Amino acid sequence: MCPRTMEMNLAWLGYCVKRIILPVLSAGLFLWSAAPARAGAAGQHIEKQFKVSGRPVVVIHNVANGRIEVKSWKNAEVDVVGTQSSNKIGFEIEQVGDRVDVTSNILDPAGQPLELEANLQLTVPEETELQLKTETGLIYVEQVTGDMKLESYGGDVHLKEVSGYIIVKTTGGSLVCTQCAGKLDFSSIGGSVQILQPQLNNVNLMTTTGNILFDGDFVRTGLYSMKSGKGLVEVRFSSTDSFDLKAQTATGIVDNQAAAYLKPDSHGVKHIAAKFTHGLFGTVGMGLAKVELSSYSGTIRIMKRD
Amino acid sequence: MQCKDVELVLEQEGLEPLPDEARAHLAECRDCRSYVADLTSLVDAAKKLPSEIAPPDRVWISLRAQLEQEGIIRPSEDVVIVEPAPWWESIGAFFRSRVLAMATIGILIVAAAVFQIRRDRSTPAVTPDETAKTAEPAPLIPGTPAPEPPPVFSQSAQALNDQEPVATSMILASTSPVDASLRDNLKKVNEFIADCERHLKEQPQDELTREYLSAAYQQKAELLSAMIERGRSIN
Repeated sequence: MCPRTMEMNLAWLGYCVKRIILPVLSAGLFLWSAAPARAGAAGQHIEKQFKVSGRPVVVIHNVANGRIEVKSWKNAEVDVVGTQSSNKIGFEIEQVGDRVDVTSNILDPAGQPLELEANLQLTVPEETELQLKTETGLIYVEQVTGDMKLESYGGDVHLKEVSGYIIVKTTGGSLVCTQCAGKLDFSSIGGSVQILQPQLNNVNLMTTTGNILFDGDFVRTGLYSMKSGKGLVEVRFSSTDSFDLKAQTATGIVDNQAAAYLKPDSHGVKHIAAKFTHGLFGTVGMGLAKVELSSYSGTIRIMKRD
Repeated sequence: MQCKDVELVLEQEGLEPLPDEARAHLAECRDCRSYVADLTSLVDAAKKLPSEIAPPDRVWISLRAQLEQEGIIRPSEDVVIVEPAPWWESIGAFFRSRVLAMATIGILIVAAAVFQIRRDRSTPAVTPDETAKTAEPAPLIPGTPAPEPPPVFSQSAQALNDQEPVATSMILASTSPVDASLRDNLKKVNEFIADCERHLKEQPQDELTREYLSAAYQQKAELLSAMIERGRSIN
């Protein structure tokens, strides 16, 4: 290539950088810096960080409608991000030692439901104790280890990879617990519950009209009690499980789809169903765990997982 | 005498009788007169309050359930597994237990008869209408006849039925999804309770249904409590 041609190419490149690339980059940078500010102005955004030592306790009371999301990180800090739909809601956030309290308050009760939405997103250390209370929004907790009490009137509760003593109480909200470990207590009137791939060694589930699904392994020496007044109680176990089963219903039916695996109890007292109830008793494997299923009028279904 | 002096006199000596100096000040000071009037109305209201307020039944139901859950008290008798006895001991035990049971029943019948005779002598007869009034529980679901709760639960049912209109009226005007959910779940619990009561009327010895009914009463108590709490926060 001759020097003159090279000179022309360089000049063309400089022209392109100056006239095209730089303006585009500037415009992009401007838009990128302006975007969070606009989001904050529309959704009223608040963010605070609190340094903690050891295992913190996080208490959230959301009296507005909205979602609470809790995830974990390796930092010894609690990060709280709150968004609210209007100024008719206010956040109160305070730290006392290792306790962080977050409360959303309705400042104007005359506000419309859409104006009374407050969402909270927390990032906490992996080992954290939680006490969350909300009214209608979803509670979502992921990868947190520690005791937790989660209460909701109408909102659902979704837990993923959490462990500890977990207490969930809802009025109409349902629970989905995926890969949970430890001890679980669930009580509800209309809410259903799904326990998927658990490592729970103590389970107490009680719902009046909701359904119960337990799909996973029973930990040896574990205790499992599942009761539904009117709903379906379904248990899917694996062929390697080992548990004693006691299933009883007052006016419903027991649908045993695992007759090939369920043997008569060989190591305990002979069971008979209580008077006026339909019952099924048996043992899978050596009968190391104890599983008690009951319903008032709903169906109890026992089946082996594929 | 100044306003502060009057306050001090009221704190130390009460409302009556006030010293002459205080009365003279009250005659001139409008603020102190209204202060004394407020105090007097407060004292009058306090005097009208009952000396002891019995906690509602839902408190006892929740407490009992909590104690049972924590294993502090037991809901039913323990099952005792015994070794099988020889046949001659079984025959002895058969007659011995029945003799004891017969004797106990006999004593109870006599005691009940004595008690009934004394009561008939001392108290006036109760008309069937009055008995019906006291025994009939409030209907659980509007439009459907309420089955009579089993005797064990009749007091709890009555207490909860008394509270229900109060609790529902507190969130009656609210259109929020939370209150709608509470009302919907109350309806579900009431239907379930009615269903269990109907079943227990036919089969009073059904323990499993009893357990479900007990749990449903507890849930209803908690639900009414939540409604009252929300009603207070709304109002």
